[in-house]
Amino acid sequence: MNRRITRLCGQIGVVLLCALPAGLAMAASQVLVITGIGGEEMFDTRFSSWSQKVATASASVTGDPKRVVKLSGDGARREAVQAALKSAAETLRAGDQFVLVLLGHGTYDGSEYRFNLPGPDLTGSEMLALLDQIPTAVPQLVVNATSTSGAIAERWVRPHRVVITATKSGGERNAPKFGGFWADALTSTEADRDKDGSLTAQEAYDFANRKVTETFKSDAAIVTEHAHIGGTDPSRFVVARLGATAQFASDPQLIALRAEQGGIESQLAQLRPQKAQLTQDEYFDRIEPVLVELAKLGARIDARLTALGVNTGANADAAR
Amino acid sequence: MQHAEHSHRRSAWLRAAPVLALWLAIHAGQAAAVDIDYDARRSAALRRCDEPQHHGRVEEARDCYRPLLRDASSLVRAEAAFALGDLRTANDLFKVAVAEDPRGALQRVRWGRMYMEVGQSAEAAGLFQEALQIDPKDAGARLALVSLGVEQFEGDAVEETNKLLAEHANLVEAQLLASRLELERGRIEAATQAAQRALQLTQQQKHPPLEAQTLLAAIEVVRKRDPGEWTRAVLAYNPRYGKLFETLGRTEIMRRRYVEADGWLQQAVKVQPDLWSAQREVGLNLMRLGRIAEARPHLETAYEGDPFSATTVNTLTLLDSLAKFDVVKVATPAMNLQLHKTESATLGPYVEQLAAQAITTFSRRYGYQPSGPVTVEIYPDHDDFAVRTAGLPGIGLLGVTFGDLVAMDSPSGRKTGDFHWGSVLWHELAHVFTLSVTKNRVPRWLSEGLSVLEEWTTGPTPGVMVNPKVLDMFKEGKLLPVVGLDNGFMRPTYEGQVQISYDQAGLVCLFAEQRWGFPRLVEFLRAFNDESATTDSAVRSVFKVTPEDFDKEFQRFVRERFSKYLADPERLTALMRRAHSMLEARNWNAAREAAQAAIEVLPELTVEGNAYEVLAAAEEAAGKPDAAITALQSWRKAGGWNPDGLRKLAALLQAAKRNAEAAEVLVAVNYADPLAIDGHDRLGQLLLEQNRGADALREYRVLLALHPLDTAAANFGMARAYRQTGDNSRARRHLLESLDTAPNYRPAQKLLLEMTGDRK
Repeated sequence: MNRRITRLCGQIGVVLLCALPAGLAMAASQVLVITGIGGEEMFDTRFSSWSQKVATASASVTGDPKRVVKLSGDGARREAVQAALKSAAETLRAGDQFVLVLLGHGTYDGSEYRFNLPGPDLTGSEMLALLDQIPTAVPQLVVNATSTSGAIAERWVRPHRVVITATKSGGERNAPKFGGFWADALTSTEADRDKDGSLTAQEAYDFANRKVTETFKSDAAIVTEHAHIGGTDPSRFVVARLGATAQFASDPQLIALRAEQGGIESQLAQLRPQKAQLTQDEYFDRIEPVLVELAKLGARIDARLTALGVNTGANADAAR
Repeated sequence: MQHAEHSHRRSAWLRAAPVLALWLAIHAGQAAAVDIDYDARRSAALRRCDEPQHHGRVEEARDCYRPLLRDASSLVRAEAAFALGDLRTANDLFKVAVAEDPRGALQRVRWGRMYMEVGQSAEAAGLFQEALQIDPKDAGARLALVSLGVEQFEGDAVEETNKLLAEHANLVEAQLLASRLELERGRIEAATQAAQRALQLTQQQKHPPLEAQTLLAAIEVVRKRDPGEWTRAVLAYNPRYGKLFETLGRTEIMRRRYVEADGWLQQAVKVQPDLWSAQREVGLNLMRLGRIAEARPHLETAYEGDPFSATTVNTLTLLDSLAKFDVVKVATPAMNLQLHKTESATLGPYVEQLAAQAITTFSRRYGYQPSGPVTVEIYPDHDDFAVRTAGLPGIGLLGVTFGDLVAMDSPSGRKTGDFHWGSVLWHELAHVFTLSVTKNRVPRWLSEGLSVLEEWTTGPTPGVMVNPKVLDMFKEGKLLPVVGLDNGFMRPTYEGQVQISYDQAGLVCLFAEQRWGFPRLVEFLRAFNDESATTDSAVRSVFKVTPEDFDKEFQRFVRERFSKYLADPERLTALMRRAHSMLEARNWNAAREAAQAAIEVLPELTVEGNAYEVLAAAEEAAGKPDAAITALQSWRKAGGWNPDGLRKLAALLQAAKRNAEAAEVLVAVNYADPLAIDGHDRLGQLLLEQNRGADALREYRVLLALHPLDTAAANFGMARAYRQTGDNSRARRHLLESLDTAPNYRPAQKLLLEMTGDRK
C-alpha cells in the first residue's frame, strides 16, 4: 500500500479513498513518452525498445492507452514535442497526474542542457517553460533518462513536480543504462517492494538505480552515471500496475473488500510507530493478529477475483 | 602510539611501488646491503675500504669510506656515499659523474647497480642500456643487465649468461649467475661446477669468496646435505654476513619449503639484525606459514630500517586491514576461512561447501589427510591479494598456495565471467595435497598439472578445456619435454608460455592418467618423496619408460586427441566466423551446421563465443528448445561455465519443467557468480520444490546478505526454508518480517494462514 494513502487512512479514515490502492484513488493520468534521436542503429533500437515498454506499462495506470502519448522518430521533432506539452497544459486539470518520460541522448555545454531530437534540439530552458505551463494543481513526474540529464536535476524541480534524472550532473555524458532499467522496473514484481501491485516512482527509481549500480559492479567498470531523484514524495506517483486487479476497480464487492482492507491497514499503521520501542518478538506478537486478519481478507479478495475470472494463483504470483 | 604513527605513514605510502621514483630523493643515511663489486675497474681506494666491509667490520669500513666523500673523482665519491648508505648524495654524485664523462659506461653501470639494489629495476635497466649504447661490448653493463634479468625471472637470462661466459670465462659474477640459474633448473652438478669456478676466480682475483660460498651452501641445502662446511667458511670470513642465511632461506622458499626457510631466515636476522631485506623476508615467510602475529614485528623492524620498501609498506598496510576480515573456523574438515566482512555472509557458505568437498575428494584421491586446518583467504581487493602473495601489487595470479594456506581473489574483485572462483579454489586446494604428500618436493609442473587435471575431472566445472594456442604451440614444436617443463613456469622464453605450460602440464597428467591410470599417477607424485628424485628418474621408475619415450607417447596422445584441429587449425576459425555470422543473419540452419562442425573440430573450446552457445541460440531461435538444452548441456560437460550461459540453460530447463536439473545448473552458477542478486530466489524456490530446505536456506541467507531491494520476497523465502527444515519459530519471524514490509503479499499471507491454522 502506498505510504501516503496509508497515512491518510490512519489519520482521517477516508473510507472510500482507502478502498482503492493508491493509484486508483487518483484521477486518470496522462503519460507522455518522448524518444529522441539515437544517432546510430544500436541506440535507435535500444531507445525504441525502452519507450515501447514504458508506454505499454503506463497504460496500466492511465486505464486508457489513448492517454499514453508516444513520440518517436520523425514524430518527435521539436515542434511535435512542444505541441504535446502545450496540449497537456491545456487539457490537464486539478487532480490529474502527468508523467513525462524522456529517452535518448542529451548534451550539456556548461550552461544549457539540450534534448537531442531529429532536427533542432529542445533546450532545457525551453522544456522547463513548457512544463511550467501545466497547472500547478497537476502533480508532475519527469523522468529524464538521457545523458547529461543531471544538468536539469534541480532546476526543473517544483513543489508539484518530482524530477528523476539518469545522471547526477551535466558532466556524465555516456549513454546511460538507467532508462532501460526504468523500463524493466515497470513490469517487475521485484521492484514492487510492498507487493501491493502498484509500482510507485520511488520503487521504480530504487530498482533502476540499484540495477545500474549492480551492472557497473558486475562489469568491474568505472561508474559513469549516478541517478538522481529530486522533489517531494515520489511515492505519490504510481507508474505501473502489476497483475489483473486494476481491471476490476469498479466491481462493488471488490470496492467494499478494499475498504475493509484499508481499515485493517490503518490498524497496522498505528502499530508501526511502536516498532522502535518494542523487542522484535513483542512487535511481531502485536502485528501478527492484524496481519492474519489482512490475510483472511486477502483470501476473500482472491475468491472474488476468481469469481470474476481472474486466475488468483497467477495473480498471487504476480503480486510477488 | 608508534604503531599508529607507522600506520598513518604507511597509508601515505600505500601501494608504494609507483612512488619509489622519489625514494632516492629523500632517502638518506640508511645502510644499504651493497653487493660485492667484482669489476676490475673499481678504484684501489674503494677496494681498501671494501676489505673491512666484506669482513663485517662495519665501523672500520665506514671510517674508511668517509674520507672518500672528498675524493677528486666524482665516481669514487658516489661509490663512497653508496657504501655509506647515503643514497641521496650518491644519486647526486653519480649524476655528476655521468655529466663529467658523458661517454663513460662505468658510471652508468654503477649508478644502475644502486637503483637495482633498491629495487628500481626500470631505472636500473635504463642506465645499463645507456651504458651499452656507449659501449656495446662493456662486459659490466651486459653482466648487470643479465643479472637484472635473472632477478626478474626472464627466460633469455640463461642464453645471455652463457654468451657472456663464452666471451669472458673469468667473470666471477657471470659464473655465479650461471650457477644460480642451473640450480633453479635442478641441474645440481652444473650449478656446483659454476659455483666452484666462481670461488676459484675469487681467490685468483682477490675478491671475497662470500657469494660463491653462499651458493655452494645453497647447493648443499638443495642436495639435502649439511651446508656446514660452507656456512662456517662464510662466517669465518664475515660473521655478520646475513645474506648467507637469507639466500638459503630464499632457496627453500623457491622450493616452497617455508618451514625450512624460516629456520634459515631467522639465522640471517640473528647474525645481521640490520639486514632489512632479511627481516622483511622473515615476516613475509611467516605470513606464508599463517603465523601472522609473529610476522608483524619483523616487518615493523624492516620498516624501521627501510621505510620505503614497497613490499614492506604494502604488507604492513595489508596486516592493518586484516581487522576487516572475519575468520570462520570449521571443525570438519578442519578449515579456517578468512573472508572480508563485507562478503563473509555471501561467499562464506559456498566457500565452506566447496572447500570441504575438495578436501574430502583429495583426501580420498591422494590418500592423505592434512595434519592441521587448511586456511583459505579470499581477498576482494586484488592488490591486497597480490601483496599477500608476493609483497607487491600488480601480479596476474588468481590464487596461490603456501603449504596448508590458500590465498585467492574474490569474485567481487573481478568482472563477472572473468574467472571461475570455484575452479581456482579447487585448483589451489589440490596444491595443498600435492605439496603436502611430497613434503613440498613435487616439481612445479607436476603440482600445476595435477591441479589442472583435478579442475578438469573432479572440480566444479568438469571438462577438459584447452586453449587452441596450446595446440598451435604443439604444432610448432614449442611444447617442452617433460623433464624441462618446469622452465615453462620459471623462465618463460615466449609470451604466454606460463599459461601454455599450465595447459601442457594438465595434458601431460591427463595423458598419464589415461595411459597408466590415476593410482599410478599418484605413485608418480609420491616418488618425489625421495629427496633425490627428479622428473627424469621418477618417469623411469614409475612409468617404466624413458623420458624421451614418455614425450613421444604424449605427443601421440595429443596428435590423436586433437587430430581434427591439428589437421587444419584455420578451419576452426572459419567455422566459428561462419557460425556467428549466420546466427546474426538469422539463418538458423546454416548457423547450426557451422557450429556443429566447429564443435567436432575442437570440442574442448568452451570459452566465450564458443560454438555450443551459438548452436543453442540457433536451436532456440528455430523453435527447438530441447535441442538448445542439449547443446548447452554438452557445452557444460565440456567445461563451459560462463554465468550467462549457465543461466540460459537453467531458464530453458525450467521452461521445460525440468526443475531439478535447472536447480543443479543454478547451483553451479554460484561457483562462478555468487554475488549477483538475481538467481538466488529462483534457485531457492526450486530447492524448496525439491524439499531441499537446508540448501534453500543457504540461498536465502545469501540473498538477504546481498541486501536486496525486495526484502519481502527474501524473508518469505527464509520463512519457507525454515519451515521446511522444521524451525517454525524462525519461519514465523521471517514471515512476519516479510509481511511487515508487504502486508498484502499474497503468498506470504497464505503461509501465515497455514502456520496459524487460520485459513478459512
